Amino acid sequence: MATASGPARTFVDRFPSEAGVIKANLLVSFVALGIGAFFGLVQALHRTDILRVIDSADYYTMLTGHGVLLAIVFTIFFLTGFFHWATARSLDRPAVSTLYSWAWFGLMTTGTVLATIAILGGLVPNLGISADVLFTFYAPLQAHPIFYIGLAMFIVGTWLAGADWFLSYRAWRSDNKGERIPLQMFMVLTTMIMWYLATLGVAVSVVFFLIPWSLGLIPSVNPLLTRTLFWYFGHPIVYFWLMPAYMMWYTILPKLSGGRLFSDPLARVVFLLFLLLSTPVGIHHQYLDPGIAEGFKFIAMTNTMFLLLPSLLTAFTAVASMEHGARQRGGEGYLRWLGALPWRDPAFTGMALAGILFAAGGFSGMINAGMNINYLIHNTLWVPGHFHLTVGTAVALTMMAGSYWLVPQLTGTKLYSRPIGLLQVIMWFVGMVFMSNAMHRAGLAGIPRRTAEPQYQNFEFLTPIGSIFELRVQIALGGTLLFLSVVLFLFNILLTSLGEESDRPVDEYLPEPLSGPEGSPRVLDNLGLWTGIAVVLVILAYTLPLAGIIQNGGGLFGGGLPIPATVSAGLDFVTTLVTTTVNTLLEVAA
Amino acid sequence: MKLTKARALVIIAFSVPIAIELRTVAGFFNIDLPLIAIAVIEFLFLALMFVLYGLYGEGSESAS
Ligand code: HEM
Ligand SMILES: [Cu+2]
Repeated sequence: MATASGPARTFVDRFPSEAGVIKANLLVSFVALGIGAFFGLVQALHRTDILRVIDSADYYTMLTGHGVLLAIVFTIFFLTGFFHWATARSLDRPAVSTLYSWAWFGLMTTGTVLATIAILGGLVPNLGISADVLFTFYAPLQAHPIFYIGLAMFIVGTWLAGADWFLSYRAWRSDNKGERIPLQMFMVLTTMIMWYLATLGVAVSVVFFLIPWSLGLIPSVNPLLTRTLFWYFGHPIVYFWLMPAYMMWYTILPKLSGGRLFSDPLARVVFLLFLLLSTPVGIHHQYLDPGIAEGFKFIAMTNTMFLLLPSLLTAFTAVASMEHGARQRGGEGYLRWLGALPWRDPAFTGMALAGILFAAGGFSGMINAGMNINYLIHNTLWVPGHFHLTVGTAVALTMMAGSYWLVPQLTGTKLYSRPIGLLQVIMWFVGMVFMSNAMHRAGLAGIPRRTAEPQYQNFEFLTPIGSIFELRVQIALGGTLLFLSVVLFLFNILLTSLGEESDRPVDEYLPEPLSGPEGSPRVLDNLGLWTGIAVVLVILAYTLPLAGIIQNGGGLFGGGLPIPATVSAGLDFVTTLVTTTVNTLLEVAA
Repeated sequence: MKLTKARALVIIAFSVPIAIELRTVAGFFNIDLPLIAIAVIEFLFLALMFVLYGLYGEGSESAS
């Protein structure tokens, strides 16, 4: 707290208590990153048969730990820390109550610890606690109740965190009537509305079905129902991971490249499109689930293809802002300006490389999203190949790169080493190119994901080019580079936080966009309206499929014999339900 | 434009996916490149980068 010694140098001086909360969030996030990356290395070496340190029977325990710690804990704790920073920074006011901020952090952390104990318990024989259910926790795989309870606490913690930012916004609004919502705040609010809508699905699944089932209170669940509720949340969580990365690409990357954001209104439109479209698409993960009619899958596919639009808009804006920055720095020519970008800065280079691999991940994602070609790659290694480019790089690498710029604002110290940072992001890029490329190819050859022993007896996988052995080596090599990259990252961040206070830790000023919000329609800021439309879209996309699944899949709690759901069965169910409810209400009223 | 260490590293990074996919591209023209050919090509490229760095890069990165 250097307020006494002159003007505030950086974020930590202006908002010391917020900085404390943010640092705690990042700490949990980075610890999870370290453990998760280690599990990733073990898996990559194990399933390629290069080095086996665990028993194949423990593979699912590792894989669950890897998925949960990286895709849920690392990403979401980073998000909560980052959003807390963005809220205080963009509104230029502290959070309403520091105690409250610590409360949601405490709840999220307790939940995380409980779930992690349940997962790691699987490694201790005779303990009787395990959760080898993978991060998708599909029934009939069953975890110890503390896994689901931890998960529920974690999610409620994120809800409370969202409320913290909404309260800040409300306080700001009463002091600033009629003003446009600052861009970063707008992004936080739209992302959180999407999250509230999306987590309803998983909350219902966990609280009403999985927890009672794991405690033995109900004998069975309807597996298709819990799966569908999971994917109702499972696709939007993708955007929950991506939105902090997008926020960095929109609001920080242009500055790092030496320029300004191209267009503020376009950024708002993109975030609104994500709010509207990211939930009614979850069924695209269930193209091969038998109990859902093809028509519903087709609707999910159509919505998914629409979702490409905001991502393409983002690619355009990010590149346009970078080109603007490069030209400000003296870059010229059609492509030569690329050389004028600040490649020495690991924060910039990491985000730029993450964006490039995201484009590749977008292409393989279109294959996943196509109902018919999905059959070719469903449940093969292609899928991990795809999402290590998206969440595993576009998100993870952007978060690591962003930390090089963000952490010094929280610690008041300079980044320990820029060259090591640069080496780290380059190693991630190269390692991921190796690992993900080979995973995609292995998937095309038919090698399944989620297997410790992909070597079947009396069966040879064939590759059109090269050999399976080369692909295995490529995965192991890539995984090793990635793990080393994480070690460098953690080392650099740790030494940064232990460093000496600096007068000017980092240039944290964010310039105004080239085209500001002034001219854009005010309706963009009408969050109530957009929430309403998002809810309607979700109701349209999910009522009939859920009704069909409940009616034909043996009821809410399963048990009966499932019959494939059809559009007309879903319709029948809804009409019967509505008519009986109306009749009952009328009788009660009469 | 000066070849700084950072620029050289980024260029080398970009060469990796190109090298890996070279065999696919060659496959379109019915050319079967063995893995060792790729290794040699990438190695030659790295050597070229070293030479270029020696010629045009300054050991110290001052301006960028
Ligand atoms: C050190 C870097 C990493 C390595 C070596 C690595 C390796 C792997 C491997 C080999 C698999 C596939 C296992 C299988 O299907 O049998 C896998 C799955 C997975 N990885 Fe990673 N990974 C890394 C980083 C990440 C990151 C940063 C994320 C997300 C932020 C991530 C998220 C996942 C998820 C969600 C799965 C799927 C788990 C499942 O199937 O349930 N990984 N990883
Ligand atoms: Cu999805």
